[in-house]
Amino acid sequence: MSEPIINIDNLTKYYNKFLALDNLCLKVVENENVGLLGPNGAGKSTTLKILCGLLRSSSGTAYIDGINIAQKPEQALLRIGAIIETPEFYPFLTPEETLSYLGKLRGIRGNGLDQSIKEVIHLVGLDDWLTVKIEKFSRGMKQRLALAQTLLHDPPVLILDEPALGLDPRGVVEFREIIDKVGKEKTVFFASHQLTEVAQICNQVAIIDHGRLLAYDSIAELEKKHQSLERAYLELTGGYVE
Amino acid sequence: MSEISQLWIVTRYEFLKHLRRKRLYVILGITLIAELAVLIILPLLMDGYPDNVLVMAAMLTVGPALATIGAVFFAGDAIAGEFENKTGFILFTNPVKRTTLVMGKYLASCAAVIILIVFGYAIMCVSLLAIYGEIPVETAKSFGLCLLFGGSVLSVTFFFSAISKGAMGATVITLVFIMVICGIVESVLMMAGEPYWFILSAGGDSVTLAFGGVELIMEGLMPSGGMGMFPFDYEPLDINLAAISMAGYMVIGFLLSLWRSKRKQLA
Repeated sequence: MSEPIINIDNLTKYYNKFLALDNLCLKVVENENVGLLGPNGAGKSTTLKILCGLLRSSSGTAYIDGINIAQKPEQALLRIGAIIETPEFYPFLTPEETLSYLGKLRGIRGNGLDQSIKEVIHLVGLDDWLTVKIEKFSRGMKQRLALAQTLLHDPPVLILDEPALGLDPRGVVEFREIIDKVGKEKTVFFASHQLTEVAQICNQVAIIDHGRLLAYDSIAELEKKHQSLERAYLELTGGYVE
Repeated sequence: MSEISQLWIVTRYEFLKHLRRKRLYVILGITLIAELAVLIILPLLMDGYPDNVLVMAAMLTVGPALATIGAVFFAGDAIAGEFENKTGFILFTNPVKRTTLVMGKYLASCAAVIILIVFGYAIMCVSLLAIYGEIPVETAKSFGLCLLFGGSVLSVTFFFSAISKGAMGATVITLVFIMVICGIVESVLMMAGEPYWFILSAGGDSVTLAFGGVELIMEGLMPSGGMGMFPFDYEPLDINLAAISMAGYMVIGFLLSLWRSKRKQLA
């Protein structure tokens, strides 16, 4: 088995006395698309935020491509493109300025940056909005821009927290197509409540609840064991309702 | 990519954000109105401008107020805003140190505050040249102290922004700290005849006092016994000590804001 590109090793996180993650262990191999499923408060967002260096774990370690995120966050973050929660952008800047800012921070310069910006903007369908101030954007448009910025520096790992939230049905389909396309060459680690979305994009699913990993298997295997992904989710997280 | 390069990038784009917001232009407009008000109303009330150019220069010194307003407006949401508005989810997931981001924001805020201060002093210099045909050399000292005061207020604001949950809280705490708490403590110490150079608001007073002591200014405005209104002996402010104090606020406030920002988590 090849070295995992995302390695979560006994991760524990307390918010004061509340235990959000309880010795979570998970290894994601390169080029796998993994859906992180769980009910509200299961610890999905906490896991993703620790992977992105936004939170410190109480104990345990997380690695991105072999890099300890707590010890070398800048190096690890160069390997990641992330959408966490519903991100907001600076309203006074345009997508071009925002992506230019982020691209430069990620080490992309000159013509290469201009080209990357054009490509990702075209990919998410915001070509006509490149020089419009973001204060005029709808939530769905901001979500598209969020997806664009994750792809700007062509990272090997995408960490996505409910990335299709706020998108209209066409947007959801387009998003799925984008992830399907880029996911072939990247590792996608993606938290969602939408089982159909996860089933269409991912080949592996991790189900967590109360901060613990309940199952980590291919969708096919889970369906074999529990008849359907939905049944697997419901049975593992609190009993199936007939 | 080197940290210096990243620092430059952050500073540039943070400054661009300040330029894009209307706040800078609003404060510039307020500055112009305030200076014009002094230039128009003072001679009407006093039957002409003061004879002493230093007195007029002191009257035209809006630098401390500008620096305070500018600092809280440009720095109040610098750190707290990223957490409150969720823009931190985009910014903090970049391969750049939190300290570099904070330093870049600080430098950008400094640039914005410097613009305000330069604008205020430019109006002062033009006015003094037009009225008196000269710009007193004390203007340079006042300008330098004002920049130092601006930097110290920025640092204190950055610290409050780093510890506050929201931008409004940071702004209010800073204004209350400087204008109310420091103001009251300074007045009490002054009336008690105790030194007060270490109070931040005293740093703001030093900017005006660079043109001369309180006695000079009061005599210039009230030639017929200006000092009669002070019923107590007070210790004049030591400007040099006030300058050292401001430098201390600037450095310590900034370092504390760096330390706190680094530890702050975005839950």
